[in-house]
Amino acid sequence: MGKYLGLFVSEASDHLNGLAEDLVRLERASRQGEDRSHIVDSMFRHAHSVKGMAASMQFDGISSLAHRAEDLLGALRRHAGPISAEIVDLLLVTVDGLMAMVEKGSSGPPPPPDPMLAERLARAVAALRQGTDGSAPLPAATPGPRRRPPPAGASEPASTPTPGPARRLAVEVEIAGSCPVPAVRGFLVLKKLGGLGAVVLSSPTVEDLKAGRIPGKRLDVLVDTAEAPQSVERALSQISDLSRVVVRGAGPEAAPPMTPAPARPEAAGAESSRTVRVRAELLDYFLDTVGELILATARLREVGRALPATHRRTHEEGVDRLHAIVKDLHGKVMAVRMTPLAVVTDRLPRAARDLARKVGKQVDVQLSGTEIEIDRAILDELGDPLLHVLRNAVDHGIESPAQRERAGKPPVGRISLSARRDRDRVILEVADDGKGMDPSKLRAAAVARGAIGPEQAAALSDREALLLCCLPGVSTADVVTDVSGRGVGMDAVKKTVEAVGGTLEIESAPGSGTRLVLRLPLTVAVQAVLLVRVGEEVVGLPIAKVHGAVEVPTASLERSQGEPVLGYGGGHVPVHDLARLLGLPPGPQGAVCSVVVAEGEGGRIGLGVDALLGQEEAVLKPLARPLNLVPGLSAVTVLGSGRPVFILDVPRLLAA
Amino acid sequence: MTKRVLVVDDAIFMRNMIKDIFSGGGFEVVGEAANGLEAVEKYKELRPDLTTMDIVMPFKSGIEATREIIKQDSKAVIVMCSALGQESLVMEAIEAGASDFIVKPFKSEDVLSVVKKVLGEA
Repeated sequence: MGKYLGLFVSEASDHLNGLAEDLVRLERASRQGEDRSHIVDSMFRHAHSVKGMAASMQFDGISSLAHRAEDLLGALRRHAGPISAEIVDLLLVTVDGLMAMVEKGSSGPPPPPDPMLAERLARAVAALRQGTDGSAPLPAATPGPRRRPPPAGASEPASTPTPGPARRLAVEVEIAGSCPVPAVRGFLVLKKLGGLGAVVLSSPTVEDLKAGRIPGKRLDVLVDTAEAPQSVERALSQISDLSRVVVRGAGPEAAPPMTPAPARPEAAGAESSRTVRVRAELLDYFLDTVGELILATARLREVGRALPATHRRTHEEGVDRLHAIVKDLHGKVMAVRMTPLAVVTDRLPRAARDLARKVGKQVDVQLSGTEIEIDRAILDELGDPLLHVLRNAVDHGIESPAQRERAGKPPVGRISLSARRDRDRVILEVADDGKGMDPSKLRAAAVARGAIGPEQAAALSDREALLLCCLPGVSTADVVTDVSGRGVGMDAVKKTVEAVGGTLEIESAPGSGTRLVLRLPLTVAVQAVLLVRVGEEVVGLPIAKVHGAVEVPTASLERSQGEPVLGYGGGHVPVHDLARLLGLPPGPQGAVCSVVVAEGEGGRIGLGVDALLGQEEAVLKPLARPLNLVPGLSAVTVLGSGRPVFILDVPRLLAA
Repeated sequence: MTKRVLVVDDAIFMRNMIKDIFSGGGFEVVGEAANGLEAVEKYKELRPDLTTMDIVMPFKSGIEATREIIKQDSKAVIVMCSALGQESLVMEAIEAGASDFIVKPFKSEDVLSVVKKVLGEA
C-alpha cells in the first residue's frame, strides 16, 4: 500500500480542495436561490472518492468521516430550503479535518478517527431530515404513509421483502483481488443494478469502468429501485469475484431524479486519463538540465571560434543544429512547467468567505481567466501574496453590510480576480468594490513612520502615494486585527512580485474600491540581463530593473552634498560606484563613465560601472549555500566562455 | 436436474476443454457451435440452461450472437469466454445481455464456480 501513499495524498487533497470550492459555490447558489443540485452532486462525488480511496488505504478514520460527510450531502440533496451558514461551516471544518488527517496519514500511522466531528455531522443530518419531514410542505398528491428515516448511524433500515415504491439504495461492492479484470466486473455489477432500477450515481462512472479505471477495486452505486435490499443482494450474489457486497437504504425514499452530472467532470476524467502526475522537483530538474545544455552549447560555440577556418564551418553547423534542438527542448520543458492559475486561485473564494464570516461581512469572490497558465515557479510564489491581497480586500476594503447599505451599495461586497495574457506577460487584477484607499492618508502614514519626508510625500502623485502602502510598516488601517492591518503584508507582496520579475500597481478611489494589478512574466528561469564590467569582474543586472544606461563624461556628473548625481529623465538620481558597493578595488577613473539607472528600494539610482557589455538571455540558476546568504546577489549564470557571472539584486545591494 | 449447456467456440481444442470441464462438474453438454451463426441456430433448437460463448469467431461474432439470442429469449444465460485484453469487447457483450464472463486461461474450478453462481446454484 505504501507505494500508493503519495498518489493517495495528492488525489485526496485535490478532491478535498474541490469539495471546499464547491461549498463556497453552494453557499452562493443557495443565497441567490439558484439551482444547486449539480453542485451537491459534485460535492458528493468528491466526498465519495475520498471515502473510497481512504478505505483502500485502510485509513478508516478518514473513510468513516468522509462517509458522514456524504450522509450530510445526501441529506442536503433532498433539502429544498436555504442552506445555513452553520452547515457550510461544519462541512468546511470537516474538509479541513479530513485534509489534516490525509496529511497526518502521509507521514505516519493511519490517523485516528474524529468521533466528535462525526457526531456533529450525524446531528446535522438528523436535524436536516427532521426539517424536511416536519416543516416542508408535502405535495398534495403524495399518498400513503411516509417511511420514517432510519436513525442516524443505522446501517440497515427495517425493510419489507416485498417490492414497494422505489427508494434509494446505496450499494458498495468490492471486487476480489484475484479478479484479473476488475473494471469489467464492476461494469457487470452496474449493468445488473441498472436492470433492477435506475442508477443515479456511480463511482467510478460507467465511462471510468469502460476505460478500465476502478480505483481500489471498489464500486459505490446509488440506485433507485423498487426491489428490497435483500433481493438486490441476492441478484449481486450471482456475480463472481465480489469479495464484499453491502446494500443499505440511502434515504427514507427515492429522491427526485438528480440532474445529470455536468459534462465537465466527465471531460476532466477523460483528460486525466491522458495525463500523468509528475513530481514538481522532477520538472525543476528538467529545466535545470536544459539550462546546463544551453550553457554547454554556448561554450561549444565559443570553443569553435578558436578552430582553424577549415574546420570552423562544420563545427558551426553542428553547433547551430544543437542550438536549435536545445531551444526546442527548452520550449517543451517550459510548456510542461506551465500551470493554470486556478491551482492557487481556486482556494481563494473559500478563504475570503471564512474571513468574511469571522469579521461579520459578506463577500462574493468572482474568478475569471484562471485557466491561463504561468510557470510553476512563479505560481508557487503567488499563493501567499494573493491570499494577502484578498485578506486586505475583505478586512479593509469591503465595508460591513450596514456601512455598505448606507453608502448605497449592495450588502454583499464583490471581489473579482481576473487574469489575462498580454503578450509575454500575465496580468492579474484583484479588484474590490469597497471603501478604497485615500492617498493623503497614506502620505501622512508614511511620513509619520518616518519612511519618507514631508516634501517627498507632497511631491508624489496619487498613484505613487498609493504604493506607499507597500513600504514596511505603513498602514492606514484603523484597527490592527490578527488578519491584517500591521502593514507588513503589502511590503511582502510587492517584494515577492518583483522577485519573480513582475510589477505591482495600485489604483484606488475613496468610496469606490481598490484595484491591484500584478504584471507577471510567464517564466522566471530565463531572464534578460544587462552585463556590465566592474574592474576585472563581470556582473549582470536584471533588465526588468534597469531603466536605462548612459555614458557620460565623468566631469559632467554633478555633486550634491559631496555625492555624485546624474541628471536623468528630468530629475536627478544619486550615482553609486558599483565597484565600491561590491567591495572591489576601484577601477581607473576614465574621462567617460557608464551609469546604469536602476530601480532601487526608494526610487531610481545610478550605478557607476566601467563598461556596458551588452544584453543577454541568461539561464538563471539559484545560488547554493553559502552564496545565497550574501546580500545583493540573486542568482548566477554562466556565459558562453564558461565564465560564471553573478546577477545582482540591486535594492538589497544598497541596503547591505 | 442436470443443467444443459451449449458450448460455442471456433476452436475444437477449446470446445473439448470446456466440454470436459462441464462434464466433470455435473453438467450435460447438449450441443456445440463453431461460430455465431451456428450458435443462434443451436440455441433456438436446444434452449439450453447455459451457453458459453467465445467472442471472436468467424461469420458472426459472439457479441452479435448474444444480442440475437437475448432478443429471442431475454432469460437466456450466456457466459462469455474472454481473454485478457478483450475488456471492452466483454463490456460490449454485457451490454448485449451476457450474464457473466470468464477469462482465459481457465481453471476448471473457476469456470464451474462462475456458472454455478450465474445459475443461482452457489
